[in-house]
Amino acid sequence: MTSLEPKPAKKKQRKRDLKFPEDQSTKKETFTLDVDKIIRTKNFSRGPDIKKNYTFSGEKGHRKKDKGVKNVLPNKSSQTQILKGKGLKNQTGRLQGTQQKHGKPIKSRFQDRKTDPYPGDAPIPIQRLQKYKRGEDKYLGDMKNQFETKKLKFREKKISDAVKQAARTETLLNEQPGFLEVGADEDITTITQHDISNAVDITSAQKYFELKLKQFGPYRANYSRNGRYLLMAGNLGHVAAMDWQTKKLMCEFNAMEAVTDAKWLHIETMLAVSQKQWTYIYDNQGLELHCLKVMDSVLKLEFLPYHFLLVGANARGYLSWLDVSIGQKVAGFQTSMGRLDVMCQNPANAIIHLGHTGGTVTLWSPNIKEPLVKMLCHGGAVRAVDVDHTGTYMATSGVDRKLKIWDLRMYKSVHEYRIGGGAGQLSFSQRGLLAAGIGSVVEVYQDPCRNVVESPYLRHQCPRTVASTQFCPYEDVLGVGHGGGFSSLLIPGAGEPNFDALEANPFQSKKQRRNAEVQMLLQKIQPDMITVDTSALGKVDVKTYAEKIEERNKLLFLKPETIEFEPRHKKKGRSKTGHHENRKQGYKEEMKREFIKDRVQEKLDEATRKREEKKNRDTEQGKPKGGALSSKGWQGLVEMSIGMWHLEAMEHVKRLYGMFRGYVACLKAVWHVHRLCGMS
Amino acid sequence: MKVKLLCRNPDEYIRETKKDIHKVPRNYDPALHPFEAAREYTKALNASKLDRVFAKPFLGSLNGHRDGIHCMSSHPSSLSTILSGACDGEIRQWDLAKRTCTRTINAHEGFVRGLTVTPSAESFYSCGDDKIIKQWRMTPENPSEKEEPTHTIIGKTIYEGISHHWRDNVFATCGQQVDIWNVDRAEPVRTFTWGVDSISHIKYNHIETHLLAATASDRSIMLYDMRGSNPLRKVILKLRSNAIAWNPMEAFIFTVANEDYNLYTFDMRNLKEPLNLHMDHVSAVLDVDYSPTGKEFVSGSYDKSIRIFPIEKGRSREVYHAKRMQRVSCVKWSRDNKYILSGSDETNIRIWKANASEKLGVLKPRERAAFNEVTKLKEKFVHHPKVRRIIKHRHVPGMIYSAKKEHAIIKESRKRKEHNRRVHSKPGAVPFVAEKKKHVVAELE
Repeated sequence: MTSLEPKPAKKKQRKRDLKFPEDQSTKKETFTLDVDKIIRTKNFSRGPDIKKNYTFSGEKGHRKKDKGVKNVLPNKSSQTQILKGKGLKNQTGRLQGTQQKHGKPIKSRFQDRKTDPYPGDAPIPIQRLQKYKRGEDKYLGDMKNQFETKKLKFREKKISDAVKQAARTETLLNEQPGFLEVGADEDITTITQHDISNAVDITSAQKYFELKLKQFGPYRANYSRNGRYLLMAGNLGHVAAMDWQTKKLMCEFNAMEAVTDAKWLHIETMLAVSQKQWTYIYDNQGLELHCLKVMDSVLKLEFLPYHFLLVGANARGYLSWLDVSIGQKVAGFQTSMGRLDVMCQNPANAIIHLGHTGGTVTLWSPNIKEPLVKMLCHGGAVRAVDVDHTGTYMATSGVDRKLKIWDLRMYKSVHEYRIGGGAGQLSFSQRGLLAAGIGSVVEVYQDPCRNVVESPYLRHQCPRTVASTQFCPYEDVLGVGHGGGFSSLLIPGAGEPNFDALEANPFQSKKQRRNAEVQMLLQKIQPDMITVDTSALGKVDVKTYAEKIEERNKLLFLKPETIEFEPRHKKKGRSKTGHHENRKQGYKEEMKREFIKDRVQEKLDEATRKREEKKNRDTEQGKPKGGALSSKGWQGLVEMSIGMWHLEAMEHVKRLYGMFRGYVACLKAVWHVHRLCGMS
Repeated sequence: MKVKLLCRNPDEYIRETKKDIHKVPRNYDPALHPFEAAREYTKALNASKLDRVFAKPFLGSLNGHRDGIHCMSSHPSSLSTILSGACDGEIRQWDLAKRTCTRTINAHEGFVRGLTVTPSAESFYSCGDDKIIKQWRMTPENPSEKEEPTHTIIGKTIYEGISHHWRDNVFATCGQQVDIWNVDRAEPVRTFTWGVDSISHIKYNHIETHLLAATASDRSIMLYDMRGSNPLRKVILKLRSNAIAWNPMEAFIFTVANEDYNLYTFDMRNLKEPLNLHMDHVSAVLDVDYSPTGKEFVSGSYDKSIRIFPIEKGRSREVYHAKRMQRVSCVKWSRDNKYILSGSDETNIRIWKANASEKLGVLKPRERAAFNEVTKLKEKFVHHPKVRRIIKHRHVPGMIYSAKKEHAIIKESRKRKEHNRRVHSKPGAVPFVAEKKKHVVAELE
């Protein structure tokens, strides 16, 4: 456990431990220097290997090719000189093409050199390839069918090419993440928002602002998915939506009722506000669109954008999912966990995480009534939960003043920190920074999941208690709602620098937004597909062990013969339907028992016969009696076979007596089996 | 202190003028694209639904004939021209683009049995029940006058089929025997006979152009080499074959349409068993034609439906039917691989799309990319039950539906019977015979 409380004695040491965000230039350097880790494509090699490579691999071919080129261009002496070079395997074709096109030789880059020092495709760093890989490479070694092997190999190649292509596109990304570097004599924690905003350009500086709204607080804030719009909801009913970068107000109204939470829906024209009694949906003009009476006294709201599900956690422990595209409730469960005021979603798999007063965190999907996972995270009540956007780590904080980081792949705690007053709010940024609202202070930690952090990255003192924190997507901004209004803080390195316009586009036009909405609705994921493991859908449906066993049992199952029996007609009322039927059934059962007995006997006979045979063979070969197996061993074998038969017979009897529901019949059946086995 | 904050220049992300397309910066980082599998699945599901929504294969019909269509022939160079022969001896030439009849010839007494166009497309031949082969100009010299054939051959027997060589000025007819004709001569240059039965259908091979295949009413399929004096081979199936089609891409593969509701694809080099058996029709199959890619073929049946089979599959991928369409006597796959033509008993020629839900006309690159994407996704998720159900479902007329059910029951009971026989007889007495092998009776040389 490490302490985050400032301790003056250790201050100097801490400075040395400070980690700065990686500069792109340093990153590049590590890539180029790390030759071993670089994937070699085609003929790629470096240094002295180059020549070797070429002399061994393709000298003959080169010469032939060169000759061909010479014939095409007999007089260009300078060109032939170039083409004589040994390493031009990849270049010849290209040069030839250009010459024919323009009619005269182009001066090559490599004119004065013998070989291309960087032949083939540019190498891709292995870490970068890893990032774009899905799953492991398939092993295609021991396949019987050559045709299928070829097909699969071709597919695998396609996949790996796609990975390479995706990795290569990273060079096209034009934005670099933000960073903050301090000199040796400065303390990073003493840097204030003022310092940062003074140091940056004017557009960035405008992103730091405070909204002083002392009347209706404390405020909860929410950014839209593309990070362009801000929604604020004061506990005393004040709701405001704005384009926070241009500071243009879209709407502002008072709900005239306590407001517990507010969330943007899939686009910035609709917002959901949970009020004291019902939950409402407003449009961006503040017009009430819907009153959702199925979601009452909701304390926390979450919106799952890919599923169009609005999730509400209720004061009486009721958790409900509502599909906003069709306006219908998808699921709702009474969690029986008391007041649900701590909730977050896992953005990677749309599972809802709830924090409870008993110190547990429960995971919920709309498909199962019980929690998927129940984890005991803290000694006291859980105050805040958040999951990072890859869905790998969960941060929790409790009244025990601890901040814990959990690995959601193992459901194990990986780090544990003690924070001064304990965090009431937690939120991850896109690049893995964690913001914690501790009383009226907001602290930001840099990558607390993979590394052990010793001190906060930045801290900020708010005028009153922090009520909500959220990093703005695709921006280096942290929005903090508190008792005295709203603060927008500058956190360098928080946001993803390069957005994908088909997922979320901060520069979206109205028409684009409309198109995107249609696309989103078309690709809406059905709520029954919410699972912990999202990749399950793309995997091969392999039979479970239980299914396999059942299939095997079916094969093993012997079908008893159909028994045709018509009892003799008896006089004096002894052939009433009931009597008649009883006699018939009795006979049938008797026959079935006989059948089973015979089968058992057959099996045993076979076993004995085999044993005899083996014995004979052994004696013929001159082996000592019982050399292979002692008499005890034989007994064991027989017992084993009986045991197996016993299982089968049990199945039989179950089926035979299936028609009798009574307990006695069942007992009888079991007894019967035992008797059979005992007999033999 | 050194600070850098994210600050995007809007000029790099917003289009300059309204006439530009929107800028769409991409970032393929998997972390920014959650729920990959689920979203792809949803896309595939939607695409397969839309596929069915847009599946409107019927494009139009050509009407004008006064009797059932018996044969059709396509033009070797003009996509829009086809010829059709009817049961009343009338031949019509059609313009497919305008869907009009451009020419009518009263060619024969009785059926027009066969039509074939010369490779140069200057003329075509027809033969009929009146024992006459006639040659006609492709473009009439004087459209206003009554048309006369340029050349007439009066034979001794009825000609049931005719097929022109793919390169030379040679054609073959079939009837009681197979005759090879040279254009310049009045008598056949070669005659093949094998047995006494009548030969109903004959086709030249596209690639090995001297090869011929014919189907005869003694249930046999015969192969001939034009250069030799004797037929090559004969394979006898359980029931009679009605039509034959050579694969245009693989010289040694051909498919026959059989009376037993099935189609058989054979490899010429091994006639002991068919390469593949194509089942789905519920009545006799009357005609078959390959797509120019050689990957698929279309068949027309007596059950009033047309089916499209991939050559490597045993089941059809598509079934076309129309309310008023009667027994389909001839089918043709257009040479641009886009359309299918069917001639049926109720005097109409129908034009269908080869891909039921394909969008006709020129596709924009982005449109094409989108189509490619969803096609791949459908392929990827085809084994998921929901997707498969939608992709496989076809509505068929009640007659076909019930007949299919009935055939399933018959097949099931036969299987059961065989199994029972096997169980109750000496081991090995009732051997397992592959379905493919069951239909071939004998191979003769």
